Amino acid sequence: MRHRHPLLTFGLIALVGFLTVCPVFMLVVGSVSEGLEAFGRFTLAKYAQAYTDPAFRDVLLNTAVFTIGSAILATGLALFLAYLNTRTNIPFKSLFAVISIIPMMIPHILFAVSWLLLLNPSNGIINLFLTQVLGLNNSPFNIYSLPGMILVEGLLDLPIAYLVLAPAMASFDVSLEESSRVCGAATLRTLRRITLPVLRPAILASITLVVVRSLASFAVPSVLGIPGRIYVLATHIYQIVATGFAPDYGVAAAVGMTVLVFSIALIYGYRHLTAESERFVTISSRGYRPTTIDLKGARYPLFAIVAFLSCLLILLPVLVLVYTSLVPYTMVPSGRAFASMSWRHWADVLRDPISLLSLKNSLFLGVVGASLGVLLSIFVCYTIVKVKTAASGILESLSFLSFSFPGIVIGVGFMWFFVHTPLYATIGALLIGYIATYLPYGLRPLTSAFIQIHSHLEESSRVCGGGTLYTLRRIVIPLLVPGLVSGWILMATMFVRELSLSVVLSRPGTEVLAVQIFRFAEDGLWGRLSALGIMMIMISTGLVVAASLIGRKLTQVEPADNRRLQVVG
Amino acid sequence: MEIRISNLSKNYFSDGKRIAALANVDVTIPAKQIFTLLGPSGCGKTTLLRCIVGLEVPDTGEIAIGDEVVFSRERNVFVPPERRGLNMVFQSYAIWPHMTVFDNVAYPLEVRGLPNEEIRRRVEGTLKFVQLEGFERRPATRLSGGQQQRVALARALVAEPKVILFDEPLSNLDAKLREETRKELREFLTTLKITAVYVTHDRLEALSLSDTVAVMKDGRIVEIGTPRQIYFDSDRRFVADFIGRANLVEGSVSAAPEAVTVVESPFGAIVCRKEADVSTGTAVAVCIRPEFIQILPGDAGGRPNVFRGRVESLLFVGDACEGEIRVGSALLVARLAATAGVKEGDEVLLHVDPAHCTVLSK
Repeated sequence: MRHRHPLLTFGLIALVGFLTVCPVFMLVVGSVSEGLEAFGRFTLAKYAQAYTDPAFRDVLLNTAVFTIGSAILATGLALFLAYLNTRTNIPFKSLFAVISIIPMMIPHILFAVSWLLLLNPSNGIINLFLTQVLGLNNSPFNIYSLPGMILVEGLLDLPIAYLVLAPAMASFDVSLEESSRVCGAATLRTLRRITLPVLRPAILASITLVVVRSLASFAVPSVLGIPGRIYVLATHIYQIVATGFAPDYGVAAAVGMTVLVFSIALIYGYRHLTAESERFVTISSRGYRPTTIDLKGARYPLFAIVAFLSCLLILLPVLVLVYTSLVPYTMVPSGRAFASMSWRHWADVLRDPISLLSLKNSLFLGVVGASLGVLLSIFVCYTIVKVKTAASGILESLSFLSFSFPGIVIGVGFMWFFVHTPLYATIGALLIGYIATYLPYGLRPLTSAFIQIHSHLEESSRVCGGGTLYTLRRIVIPLLVPGLVSGWILMATMFVRELSLSVVLSRPGTEVLAVQIFRFAEDGLWGRLSALGIMMIMISTGLVVAASLIGRKLTQVEPADNRRLQVVG
Repeated sequence: MEIRISNLSKNYFSDGKRIAALANVDVTIPAKQIFTLLGPSGCGKTTLLRCIVGLEVPDTGEIAIGDEVVFSRERNVFVPPERRGLNMVFQSYAIWPHMTVFDNVAYPLEVRGLPNEEIRRRVEGTLKFVQLEGFERRPATRLSGGQQQRVALARALVAEPKVILFDEPLSNLDAKLREETRKELREFLTTLKITAVYVTHDRLEALSLSDTVAVMKDGRIVEIGTPRQIYFDSDRRFVADFIGRANLVEGSVSAAPEAVTVVESPFGAIVCRKEADVSTGTAVAVCIRPEFIQILPGDAGGRPNVFRGRVESLLFVGDACEGEIRVGSALLVARLAATAGVKEGDEVLLHVDPAHCTVLSK
């Protein structure tokens, strides 16, 4: 017997529909309105203004180079890492799990800033060091450039690309290659004719996903692009709404439409490609372990490359920030630098009322937002996985839609909505925006948790005499805990570091951490920025640790006889 | 083409322990026959197959296919799989999902750089042979399991390899399809008169498909023979037990007259088929297959090997009844005619023809 719960399903469709369709609808209407106060008065002037702007052509070109460049870099590196991990005997394979998870915990804006501190042309640490050592007149590197932006964004999106490619590589049936060899094709031909074509959907999926992510990326283009006057769509929109005397949300919405249309199209392309890649998973041979390629002498050199990459991704940003937060101004590490270290920047931050407010707001948004988001995700996933009516299919598509949402564009859409409500300039506006944009982060782990709870598990509890509520308490909820915890962690860390949506929606009084860091970057206050950044990382890490500990406590399987013994004793 | 394998060994290291997948295997696989490697999982049969095809490098020994030595540790020879001129049907079929049926089958010919016209002709001919005409343009993933299996076979056959190897090719099919495909495969291979090496853990498949069966255990070949020899004549406990259902009755040889061997068992003397190599007093087991146990309706009539027993359980399985019969302290499994008219608890007289009592001395 399958419960249909029409009320629940339609209630959720209304709620999720509001969260996902509202910003899009407002964006569309806003783009053809005369202005924030004249909402709904039809005009095409904003489109004309947006798309006849002579700078727009360069913006589009920059965006194309930036997104595709990042996608190729991230996918190429991920392919290399995934191949080494799944198909060769490279040592210390546990490092690969670290590479794919940990960098997600370092906020993008801090990662971008740490590279800026290293490679900016005026006083980047590496540049200073090289000019001093080699006696150069000019800095050898300039991070304020498209290649610099691509490097940083590509490294940032590497974990995502890896998470798409690694499973495809792992489920790759090695006998597909072996049969090609047996048919007479040598290694190179096999690679060209069999391996790469079979992996093609996964490779394209990874490229598509990284393009969507870098299209939505605001941290890298704003921190590294704006100083070098290299604008992409995200920073172009920001410039329209945030600089000058009269922010024009109509023009911003008109430009945002382009981003949104591209994002949605790409994300549906991505969905199609992952389905395609799963179709390519044929019956895999049982009983025979896949042959690993012996790297022989190349084992440790290749491992050194992997270790170097993980240093770049994890250690380097943290080290640079800690160092910068302690020295009075940017200088090459030296005896003098270490002698002049102090907690001055930390004290400045802790005395700054706006920084303190942003700490409080971000912590609130992280804890409350993630809890509400996970609660909503539970109901949505239950409906998608267990109720399975035509209406729940609509729900799935709706919730998937927000996966493609570029934060800054959705921020502009929500802006058009919130100015007409009392929510404008409140923390509630940020809360709603966050949940709408990051809902898929809660849905994904919970969906797989729900799928794992096979209906037989519930049914056998019912057959054993457990009522609905008892079954829910003893069987369903305990099995959901790991999914709940990872959903909460994903949402909380996303919320604590959220920048691109907040940069539009945050108003005086509702400052959040990432926005405050962004302001420090605009003002060049690198010491304070680094101190606040480290605090941000500590908050994220604290939330992750707390959630994991609670989760572990809840899922501990206590031996039944143990419990009975305690009762007897 | 004949395959000669001598002194082949292969070790794996897993969790710091050495596992011998192959231990000094010596075997000659005759040409133009279906040769089956049979054994439980982990016995090394797949490793041996993969060594022959070149996907695995043995630690020691030599492999020669026809006149060509394709692997020799001593002479430092290793011919890679693509230059051994063999082909193989994989357990997962390994049908390339991004190609059509035609492209899959044409691949070995393309690799050899044949002209398009000839490729088309030969692929069509082979597809016709495996009864897949009209499927050329189909994406390979849109086929049923049985059809994929035949694509894999066509791909293996199309370049007319010297030897074709099969790695449990039927294990992914359901029971009924497996039976049909087994028969088809036997027809295909006997028509082509090709040398085939076939790996399976399914004794029915081995018995019904092969010209020669080699039974493997712990990395060694323990017995080679025709299916009938393996089933009826083996004097090894492991082989007799693995190849079919068997009652193994422990005992010792009490007399060895001219024509028979007599074994003293817990429930009396069993007259067995003559086993030349055993002397009186040797501890042995007697193999009695369930299908050769008969229920005598009336008296023994002076026949040898008649025992009194009691039917402990009786299970109707359709074409027969499977009974467990308590004889002394032993419990014998017997396959009785469904119409035999015995029921649980009956006292019965059993008879086994001495020709079907085999002495297992190894």
